[in-house]
This record gives sequence, C-alpha cells and structure tokens, in this order.
Amino acid sequence: MRKFVINVNGNRYEVEVEEVGGSVSAAQPAAAPVQAAPAEPARPVQKAETPAAPKPAVNASAPEGAVKITAPMPGTILDIVVKPGDEVKRGDILLILEAMKMENEIVSPQDGVIASVNTLKGESVNSGDLLVSING
Amino acid sequence: MATMDKINDLYARKRKAELGGGEERIEKQHASGKKTARERILMLMDPNSFVEMDAFVETRSIEFNMQKKKIPGDGVVTGYGTVNGRLVYVSSQDFTVIGGSLGEMHAAKITKVMDMAVKMGAPFISINDSGGARIEEGIDALKGFGEIFYRNTIASGVIPQISVIMGPCAGGAVYSPAITDFVFMVEKTSQMFITGPQVIKAVTGEDVTFEELGGAAAHNSTSGVAHFKSASEEDCIRDIKRLLSFLPDNNLSDSELIDCTDDLNRISDELNGIIPDEPNKPYDMKKIITTVLDNYDFLEVHEGFAKNIIVGFGRVNGRTVGIIANQPQVNAGVLDVDSSDKAARFVRFCDAFNIPLVTFTDVPGYLPGVEQEHTGIIRHGAKLLYAFSEATVPKINIIVRKAYGGAYIAMNSKHLGADIVFAWPSAEIAVMGPEGAANIIFRRDIANSDDPIAFREEKIREYREKFSNPYIAASRGYVDDVIEPAATRIRVAGALEMLTSKREVRPSKKHGNIPL
Repeated sequence: MRKFVINVNGNRYEVEVEEVGGSVSAAQPAAAPVQAAPAEPARPVQKAETPAAPKPAVNASAPEGAVKITAPMPGTILDIVVKPGDEVKRGDILLILEAMKMENEIVSPQDGVIASVNTLKGESVNSGDLLVSING
Repeated sequence: MATMDKINDLYARKRKAELGGGEERIEKQHASGKKTARERILMLMDPNSFVEMDAFVETRSIEFNMQKKKIPGDGVVTGYGTVNGRLVYVSSQDFTVIGGSLGEMHAAKITKVMDMAVKMGAPFISINDSGGARIEEGIDALKGFGEIFYRNTIASGVIPQISVIMGPCAGGAVYSPAITDFVFMVEKTSQMFITGPQVIKAVTGEDVTFEELGGAAAHNSTSGVAHFKSASEEDCIRDIKRLLSFLPDNNLSDSELIDCTDDLNRISDELNGIIPDEPNKPYDMKKIITTVLDNYDFLEVHEGFAKNIIVGFGRVNGRTVGIIANQPQVNAGVLDVDSSDKAARFVRFCDAFNIPLVTFTDVPGYLPGVEQEHTGIIRHGAKLLYAFSEATVPKINIIVRKAYGGAYIAMNSKHLGADIVFAWPSAEIAVMGPEGAANIIFRRDIANSDDPIAFREEKIREYREKFSNPYIAASRGYVDDVIEPAATRIRVAGALEMLTSKREVRPSKKHGNIPL
C-alpha cells in the first residue's frame, strides 16, 4: 500500500494506492469534501493505474518439488539478481529486500538452478510471500 | 563355588553386561550408522578414564515376562570419567537393550549419576538413544522420567547439563533435553518429537517423515529446540568437547583460564573499515566478533535458529566470555520472537555460570507485523530485557551502528545495568531512525510546506545530523566512551580485567517471574 498526501485547493487528502498485479487497486480520498474538486482526485488515480497496466503479471506459483524462498519480513523488492534457469551456489544473492530501512540480501540456502521468480522489482511483499524457487 | 570360580564368574558377568543386547543387535546398530552406548562414552572420555557404575542393575518388573527378557545394565551405561582432564558424569542409553527403553531401574541409574554430578559439581552429559518409555513397566517408567526431569531442574544452573540426541528421543523423554542447557543432534540418525508421524497421521491427517518432523535440521532451525547439529557422531563428540572447554565445572567455579597466546594489544585496523558508508547496507557481524576474540576463535551456539541474532562463546585474555550480537545481514538484525528467546536463554546460562557478557549492538528495532504481535513479541521481547537486567556478571556492550528505541534498551544498555558501554563513531543511538522520526515530529510542517518531499528530506537530513550519532548518548553518560573500532579488542580486554572482582547484590527473593 503506497500512501500519498494530496493537497487540492487547500484541502488535504490522504490517499492509499495499491498497484495492480495480484492485488486490488484502490484510490479513495479519506474524509474528502467531494464537491470541492471532483476532477482533481481522478488524475492521480489514473497516473497510478497506467504504469501498472503494461507491467508483466506476477508468476504466483513454483514448480512441484522446488525449494521455496519466501520473504522473511514485510518490505519492498529493491532488486532481483537472478532469473529462471540461472545456476546458483549456496550463499549467492538472489534478491535484495528493503525492510527496516535496510537492504537485506536474500541468499540461496543451497546449490541449484532457479526454477521460478515469483516477484517483481518494486513490489511490496509480506512475510511468507513466495519470492523465488530453486531446484536442487 | 571355589573363590577363583567366583572371580571368573565375575568376569563372565561383566563381559555379558558389556555386550548389552548381544552381538547381533550391536551389528544392527552399526549398520544403521550409529555407535553403541559404550563406544560413544569411550569416544568422549579421555582414554582409560571411564569408570562404569551399576553395570549389574536389572529391572525388577514381573509383568509381561520381563524377568525372562531382562538384561544387566537395563539399557543404559552410566558412570564418570574425565574429558580433557576434567571430571564429567555421563549416561548413555543402549538401543540394543529392549530398544533402549526407559524402565524404573534404567532411570534409577541415571538419577544416581545426576545426584553425584551435583554433589561433586561436575557437568552431566546425557546421551539419548531410546524408543521411549518401557510400556511393560507402566507407570514405573513414568516415575523414572519424572525423577529425571526433577533432577534436571534442580541441577539447572548448578552444573552444566548437556543432552546429546543420537537416536530416537520421543514422547515424554524429550523433556529432559528440553530442560538441559545444550542439546546436540546428529543429522539423519537422531530425531526428537512428542508424537511421531504415525500418530500425527492418525489424528490430524498430516503426512510427514521422521526426519522432516523432528530431525536435526528441523530442530536446529525451525523449532530452536537443538543448539548444535553434527554430520556424524564423531563430529558431535568433538563439538561437545569443544563446548565443555569454554564452560566451568559448576556454578561456584570459573571457566578455565587459558594461556592467552593472542596479543591483547592487537589493533584491528580491519574494524575501522567494516561498517559501510551507507546506513542501509549490511555487513557480517561475525567478522567483528571474531576479530575481537582471542585467536579469532568463536564457538557459535544455536547457529541455525533465529539467525538475526548471534550467540556463542569465545575468550578474551584467556577467559571465557558469552557473546550476543545482532546480525545485520539477516532480517536487518531486528529483534523478534525467536531471537529474543534465543538470546535471553543464552544470557541466563552465562549469568548462572559466571560467564561475562559482551554484546555487539546494531539493531534497527523490533520487527513490526501482525504475526509478531499475535505470536507475542511483547512477551518474548520482554524476556531479553529481563535477562540482561537480572544478570550480575560483568556486562559490556559495544554499540557498533544502529541502536533504536526499545531494541536499544534491550541490547544490554546502560539502563539495564551494563557496566561498560562503548560506542563506535558510526553508532546511531536514537529513539528511532531519522525517516520515522522526521515523519512524526515534523508532520504538520511537512504537510503545510510548499514542497513536502524536499522539506521532508531536509528534515531527515537535519535529524540524522543531530541525533544519529553516539554523542547525545555520550553526553548523558549512557555511553561510557566513544572508541575507535580498531581499538575494540584492547578496550574490551581492559574492561573485563577491571570487572573481574565485580559483585552485585539483588534484593533477596525466592526467584523472579520471568515472562514466559
């Protein structure tokens, strides 16, 4: 959920936006005097939605038997270093998760080949969300 | 019978007892990758030092034909010997005798050596390899377990107690290792669980293998029940000896003072460069730990569990110290339910056995989240605060980078009674990080400004300048000194030396009520 504060004609709106791609997009002004500026709030919503449309869909599943790497904490994916088919060794960095204001390196627990990448750069993840899977 | 015959009869009985369940069962034990009870003891003890007791003890149960099935020794080998010259008591279950099952007399042998270990003030090592309670003996087996658990508890904090799982350890039997100080497991051949896969399948329908459910990997990482994991029984015995070398014999003696062969005045220039310039980049805390310890020698405990905190033993100037440190490389080094439990237990072990505590702090806070809240981070986090406050051993803290909020307090802060607190120039001791703080303190100003984003960045920069450093804390005496990282080893060694005569009194009470 990304939070924006929008100032329109002196009125302050707190808006929460979720990116399309597995979760519902919702842009609702909180406690907003609707008649003041009906046209204005629409524009930020469109801005948020259009970049989302051309993005590739998140692959939500991992192959049977693959070792699943899940998010240890809620955060944002800063960078994905591997792609399906890459060979990795135990300790190699798979992706960078930003959480608690730190760049957390998610490393591979074993040698293997990347079976699937199940997240996107910039995506917000929760604890336990599937990030990557590896075939040993 | 002539006198000489009686002596020969003794030899015969001894040989029979030593064979346990017989040659065939011994071969089966070996075939499954396991050593026998006696072989394990002989690997552990110094050569020719093991003195066996109660080799002729037998079950007196008369139900279910036990008198025909009974074997001298009753399925466990007990006694004492030396490990690296120091007295140690041991019990080693014999899987070849009725599956190593625990009956009344089997348990009585174990409780006898436990009582002696307490009286003589020497560590007790219990090797578990047993099918569990001997069902034929009914509630007498339960009595046996109960008396063992009771003694584990009474001895807790008096002598170091080490449990070694080298086979099955199931049902009620697991509670003895659970109460002891350290649990060792061997990969593939050891398992611990209360209810096994068959019962689980019958009751909940879940399908799981022995190894998945309660093997060495599961307990060293997911459940945190085991502290050490070894690839083989030989490795395990070697690791036990290594652990013992750091520990005192009992709570009234100090750990062995080793001749320090590592220069106390060793300047560690590498520490000056170890903290990255960017505050959001991780580094390996273990490098800092090993650099400060004698000979870079660090025995990590509980390595696979809650890796966002590191605990273990090392030496400074030849004296054992207990290390607790956040690991920024894992989960940003946050404190959470598991890491609080792991650290608190370790702190209390060290305090019970007069081992000074040296902590390295780089913690951004407690992990937020509904899961943490609902699994009781409040209860568990409190354990760490309690443990440090309660400890009366010398307590030294080195704040290496972040120390925010409640986590700053929990990590051996001055306020919980740390004797000496050092900070590196890279330390950021504050109530929270600059971004969070700016958002709260300057909320209105940011909202009302012409360019909120730039204004916010400005405020964050200001806050960082003013508060993300050790000097505010130093100006209040919450930090005793700000030191150059390269000098950490010398300063820690000096502080420990000064603190050797520390005596601290607590109000008299039966015992506190640590949140559990």
